[in-house]
Amino acid sequence: MTETAARPAAPDGAGDTVVGPRSSSVPVVPPERLRAKRRADRKRRLTVLLLLSPWIIGFLVFTLYPIVNSFYWSFTVKRYGSPAKWVGLANYELLFTNDELLTSLGNTAYLAVFGMPVRIGIALLAASLLVRARRGNGVYRTMFYVPSIVPAVASGALFFFLLKEGGPLSSLFGVFGAEAPLWFRDPQWAKPALIMVTTWALGDLMLILLAGLVDIPRSLYEAAELDGAGRWARFRHVTLPMISPVIFFIVLTGLIGVLQSFDQAYVFSQGVREGRLTGEPGGSLLTYAMLQLRLFQDGRIGFASAMAWVMFLITFAITMVMLATRRRWVHTATEEWA
Amino acid sequence: MTRTRRLLGVVGQHSVLIGLAIIFALPFFFMLLQSVTPLEEAKTTVLWPSSFDFGNYSEVFDRVPLARYIRNTLLVCALVVTGTIVSCVPVAYAFSHMRWRGRGVVFVLVLSTMMLPFQVLFVSQYEIFSNLGWLNTILPLVVPSFFANAFSIFLLRQFFLTLPTETIDAARADGAGEFQILTRIVVPMAKPGIMAVAIFQFLFAWSDFFGPNIYLSDESNLTLAVGLVRLNTAAARLGESNLTMAASVIFVMPLVVIFFFAQKIFIEGVTLTGTKG
Repeated sequence: MTETAARPAAPDGAGDTVVGPRSSSVPVVPPERLRAKRRADRKRRLTVLLLLSPWIIGFLVFTLYPIVNSFYWSFTVKRYGSPAKWVGLANYELLFTNDELLTSLGNTAYLAVFGMPVRIGIALLAASLLVRARRGNGVYRTMFYVPSIVPAVASGALFFFLLKEGGPLSSLFGVFGAEAPLWFRDPQWAKPALIMVTTWALGDLMLILLAGLVDIPRSLYEAAELDGAGRWARFRHVTLPMISPVIFFIVLTGLIGVLQSFDQAYVFSQGVREGRLTGEPGGSLLTYAMLQLRLFQDGRIGFASAMAWVMFLITFAITMVMLATRRRWVHTATEEWA
Repeated sequence: MTRTRRLLGVVGQHSVLIGLAIIFALPFFFMLLQSVTPLEEAKTTVLWPSSFDFGNYSEVFDRVPLARYIRNTLLVCALVVTGTIVSCVPVAYAFSHMRWRGRGVVFVLVLSTMMLPFQVLFVSQYEIFSNLGWLNTILPLVVPSFFANAFSIFLLRQFFLTLPTETIDAARADGAGEFQILTRIVVPMAKPGIMAVAIFQFLFAWSDFFGPNIYLSDESNLTLAVGLVRLNTAAARLGESNLTMAASVIFVMPLVVIFFFAQKIFIEGVTLTGTKG
């Protein structure tokens, strides 16, 4: 944490606002002054409490209470508006003996395993070309970034149009003499379509990588060049190790994000068949979508809560494993910089 | 020789960049083109329409209560932005320019709520709002923003920490109260940072689909994001993708305009959260 480093230097005397007893370097203080000081301390403590109160109330009502609640509900059978009935681990058992969770986890993993390398690869390519380009840098950067401010439902609707039968991208397949796949009716193709939309919106990744590349000292490249390193060798042995902390961060947040991907899949499936929540075509159900399906279509709150906790544990496990193995992925010389 | 090689390198680099830029711009191009394609041609596989029909834009206002959606969305955005700023500025101030015991621990607690997945929260939040009778109103979307969120607190604190402490200490020495210092000194000096947080919140509220989709059901209450999805679903069956694309342009344009006016803020914000988050 940068907490201690970032804390402004404490001025002595009047400007000091430390709450609580001050170090008693002054030997004898008259009792009336001590009382005045205590009163001032209490006032300051109240001020802090007052300033923090929006967060404290929000934390209790919208975070802590719901967490405790959903944890309890995950061991019950419950519907909205009716009391919960304790069933022990039944929801969790049901979850793991049911194919649905495995299918949806598999599909989510597919998006992570195939989607993320594509996104990071293209973002890194764009960023490393941009960092060296002298002319038109701003224009390119804008063109790569703007797609990522398009709301997910809008990019979903846009790619639904582009990829539908007879849509512009499907027509392009025709130009090359290939037959366009039925992107949204075939579970095999619905996932690549989702990867395509998220890849279009890689602007955030590109900016983060670009910031990381700018920070690499030029002297490292010059030294490598003197050693006779070619373009690829410089990328492999200078850029990649130096940028590895940034890639690590992107992969970690990306994995967490993919577990929550929902919007575009929802738009795609709604366009194909009205009335069903999502996961249409059936084989391409996503974890997050499944959660909503069970919660709002079936109203099975206990089951949905159990599922939410399993998803949370998966997220937590991924984070812990990645942090524990961080040294293997990340070049250590830049440890403090990440 | 090295000069020609370098020149070739620059040419190669720019051709890859131009190629990528064209691929990234192509979806926007087709979106705009389809939004002015006449209906008869929108239903076919024709790529380039024989004439441009700007009537699609007024047609979409007739077909769905788009003006209503826009008004609802703007109302939600305004309230979310107001709520976030009013609640997060004092909290961020307490975490940056006041010293108190336990500050570090509490701040870590604030940050850790950022990592909590939304799914363990919304199952129960939904029941809270349902018990309050707030379903099918915008209250569940805006009220929580008046109770501070970790992301905005973090961003504001980062901005506040860059302010000169001398001015604040001097004011304190002159006997100014904390609230006076906050409103008279910190807020005016931190305007760019507050602006950045406001823009991010606006963007989030404008784009959000998940919340409005759960809580809003009546046609007259919908926000643009939900309205667009419903329009897309209905239009897909009728082959009226020109109307969906016209609505999408209306939905996306304000964000693009904001981006061009506040490019620096966007880039700094993304980079800040990316490298220090």
